[in-house]
Amino acid sequence: MGDVNVIQMPLWQLFAMVVAPFGLLAVVVTLLRRRIRRRSAEKGDPDWSVPQLEGAAGHSLIHRWDVRCKIVTIIVYSFMITAIRQMTPALVAIGLSCLVLIVARVSMTKVLMRILAIAGFITMFLLVMPFTVPLHKGDTVIVFGGLNWLQFSMRGFNLAATIAAKAVAITLLMEPLLATAPLPVTLQGLSRLGVPDMAGQMVLLSYRYINVFRHEARRMATGMQVRGFRKRTGVATVQALANFLGMLFVRSFERTERVFDAMRARGYRGLFPEQTLKRQRPADLVGAGLWLTVGVALLVFDRMIV
Amino acid sequence: MHQWESHLPSQEPKGHLFRLTNLQFRYADGPQALSGIDLEIAADDRIALVGQNGSGKTTLIKQLCGLLLPDAGNVSFKGQDLRNGHLERSRLEIGILFQDPDDQLFGHTVIDDVAFGPSNQGLASEDARQVAQQALQRVHLADKAYQAPHRLSFGQKKRAALAGLLATNPAVLLLDEPTTNIDPRQEQVFLDLLAAFKGTLVCVSHDLLFLYELCRRAVVMENGSIAHDYAMNDLVAQRSELRSHGLDFSFRLMPIDNGEKNGGPAETRLAEAQRESASAPPMLELRGYHFRYPDGTRALTGIDLSVPVGERIAMVGENGAGKTTLLACLLGLLEGNGTYLFEGRPVTRRIRRDLWRNIGMVFQDSADQLFCPSVGEEVSFGLKQLGVSKNEIRERTQEALSLVHLKGFEQRVPLHMSGGERKRLALACVLAMSPRLLILDEPSAGLDPQGEEQLLSILGELDVTLLMVSHDMFFVDALTRRTVVMHRGSIIQDLPTDAFFKDSRLSNLNGLAYSFRQRCGKAIRELQHQHEHSHHHRHLHAHPHEHDDVVHDHLHKHDHAHRHRFLHSHPGEEQEHRHASRQYHDHPHAGEHGVHDHNHNAPKGDHKHSGEHGPHDHDHTGHDKTPHDRSHK
Repeated sequence: MGDVNVIQMPLWQLFAMVVAPFGLLAVVVTLLRRRIRRRSAEKGDPDWSVPQLEGAAGHSLIHRWDVRCKIVTIIVYSFMITAIRQMTPALVAIGLSCLVLIVARVSMTKVLMRILAIAGFITMFLLVMPFTVPLHKGDTVIVFGGLNWLQFSMRGFNLAATIAAKAVAITLLMEPLLATAPLPVTLQGLSRLGVPDMAGQMVLLSYRYINVFRHEARRMATGMQVRGFRKRTGVATVQALANFLGMLFVRSFERTERVFDAMRARGYRGLFPEQTLKRQRPADLVGAGLWLTVGVALLVFDRMIV
Repeated sequence: MHQWESHLPSQEPKGHLFRLTNLQFRYADGPQALSGIDLEIAADDRIALVGQNGSGKTTLIKQLCGLLLPDAGNVSFKGQDLRNGHLERSRLEIGILFQDPDDQLFGHTVIDDVAFGPSNQGLASEDARQVAQQALQRVHLADKAYQAPHRLSFGQKKRAALAGLLATNPAVLLLDEPTTNIDPRQEQVFLDLLAAFKGTLVCVSHDLLFLYELCRRAVVMENGSIAHDYAMNDLVAQRSELRSHGLDFSFRLMPIDNGEKNGGPAETRLAEAQRESASAPPMLELRGYHFRYPDGTRALTGIDLSVPVGERIAMVGENGAGKTTLLACLLGLLEGNGTYLFEGRPVTRRIRRDLWRNIGMVFQDSADQLFCPSVGEEVSFGLKQLGVSKNEIRERTQEALSLVHLKGFEQRVPLHMSGGERKRLALACVLAMSPRLLILDEPSAGLDPQGEEQLLSILGELDVTLLMVSHDMFFVDALTRRTVVMHRGSIIQDLPTDAFFKDSRLSNLNGLAYSFRQRCGKAIRELQHQHEHSHHHRHLHAHPHEHDDVVHDHLHKHDHAHRHRFLHSHPGEEQEHRHASRQYHDHPHAGEHGVHDHNHNAPKGDHKHSGEHGPHDHDHTGHDKTPHDRSHK
């Protein structure tokens, strides 16, 4: 470890620096999840007689923005974020994403749920990379309690934190991207941008039927459970699970045929009815240009930092 | 603004709307599904398409809307073969409602889905939405327009699917089991909407009580062919015909015999078991039990329930009242807060894990619990989990299968069995495990009348504590003696079944109003009663005779060869009533006898009429039951 700066620390500090923060993170995530569930339950059933986007803060700049411009801008901007290398611009990107959230006035609970969904992924990076990143000349490593095989690389941690920051910055933009227009409108926008119609229809139907299949699978699993089935290590378990999956496949296949029949019976000829897309205005293009300029500026700033 | 009628594609020609000629159809690698179908459907026909499970009803309505094309013969709609361009155009006029609404609601939101049809009819997006909104109002779902379909209850989904059809203002509605699995209140909504529908209606259902007021014509299918084409009244009036087609639902109309009620022979055994265990704790007991789903939805609140050994309990309530959640808690699949005792012992984690050894459940949809490749494996699955020996598995499998009349089905594939057979198989799977408590979730759902009657008789014979969730008030009445009424996650009443039926307030509160069923049942029973007493009979009456030049009146008796119906009142469900003499009586005839001659030297008092009598009704009340046998003057 000739060219590496080594900082020796007592073993208990490993817990203080690594285990405790991640434990705390796990507790926070769990509490937040519970709180979100409770809050969503307390809110009661919303008024479904009006479109939810219009019913709840659906008139922001982002809502009014042309869906094609929105999709292109946010996706291109997201790629720009992934190209960031330094921590500071990544943090600036988080700040900018938060600004977009404020402008878009989207549900913070849902934003939080998205962040919680990637929490495990980020935690894995933060936990693994500091201990596994190859050591370079001039790196600083922390060695706990003289355990030389367990080196905490500060560069690795910085790298993991940067990746995490970029992931958070992009995740924060998903709600403005996906929740400021109905899904069919967003898919229609994609279609206008050249994505095949069939792909959009498949996404739409998958989104609709994933819940149906999930409920079907759950009911079947319950049916097995009430007859005493428990997953064990053995051929019998494998056989039962194979039967379960086979039957689920058969039922899903039959359902897809029935759904297709129902669609045909109501006049489907390969295309879903087109949603009304707002006419593209010059202001939409200007907005896209401004946003992408900010992204380019962020990249320039990133490259300028040594 | 879009008007309801404005997008009707074309005017209706006079005569027949549909004409099916020698229709043949076979599924790929399957049996002949339809053969030699000849059927004509007029523009204002309201047809009940009935028959046993697997008789080809669904295949036929798929032919009517062009989802399946015939192998031979043809289907014409408005005078043209239902193919190619005409088929594409006609689909927008023919609405088909599938059995499972999830098959039909493929839109992102309810209104997207309902607007799908009108959009395909060529309406602009905004107009289509307006039409969809109106259709949702008709099915009382305007407040759910922007809800995702998977968030709706089953009954709401079914209504939303109907709205999707009504929005296209169809000339024809084809309905496949429209009322299966929905509570009576939602059923009433369906009934009202369909009664108000002005077009052609073809309704597939096993529920003849539902169809009775809705349809005027009944087409009976059997093994892929049309066995009969009746007026609805004629079908329901003829028990023998109904029975021969496996459609006899008349057992539902009969007052339940005291000896048979609550399980008949099994009842005696259970009563004994109850006496023996009078001092023992109840099998199950819940006190102050609550349950909340992870998303925060409060599903059960303050449940107090005791299930003694040998009891037969019905659990009723509207869709979404919490019945299924409660069952899941009883089975240990969900864990709520509060006291749960099994045989007097608190249900700990260990006891909960083993509850399946004592509690068996037959699901509403048999497909949810049948997943093995053969019937034999299916029944033995649970026994293997119990760890019983191979010999015992064989014996108990045989025993369970013969109990549900499926002996010899061991090698059959459950997926290919009929609905009734699958339901009985699911029951056999549970019974083979000898549960101490049997839970049935909507046991009669989707069964044809023969299947229902068979299931009823099997369940009546079972010697087991029973907890049944059902909207089917006949099953509730026939199989249980205690009824627990649930409403919005709570038990609001726990009372004897007899008392429950007398309390109209309770049943209305729970969306269980079934007055139209009572009304239809009464009307059908009257028809059947009239019919059952049809017979040839003797009359004693006076009418002019001509003997050579002498015309005179005198009383005489003679045999009639006409059908004859009794109209008499039933004094009450449980009171006996007597019918008047079936042989000797007089009554006014619709057509008077003309002057005629007859042989006065015929054997004593017996004359044959040459005149025809039309069918006629008469009142027997007060008739002398003693046979009249006056000699001829």
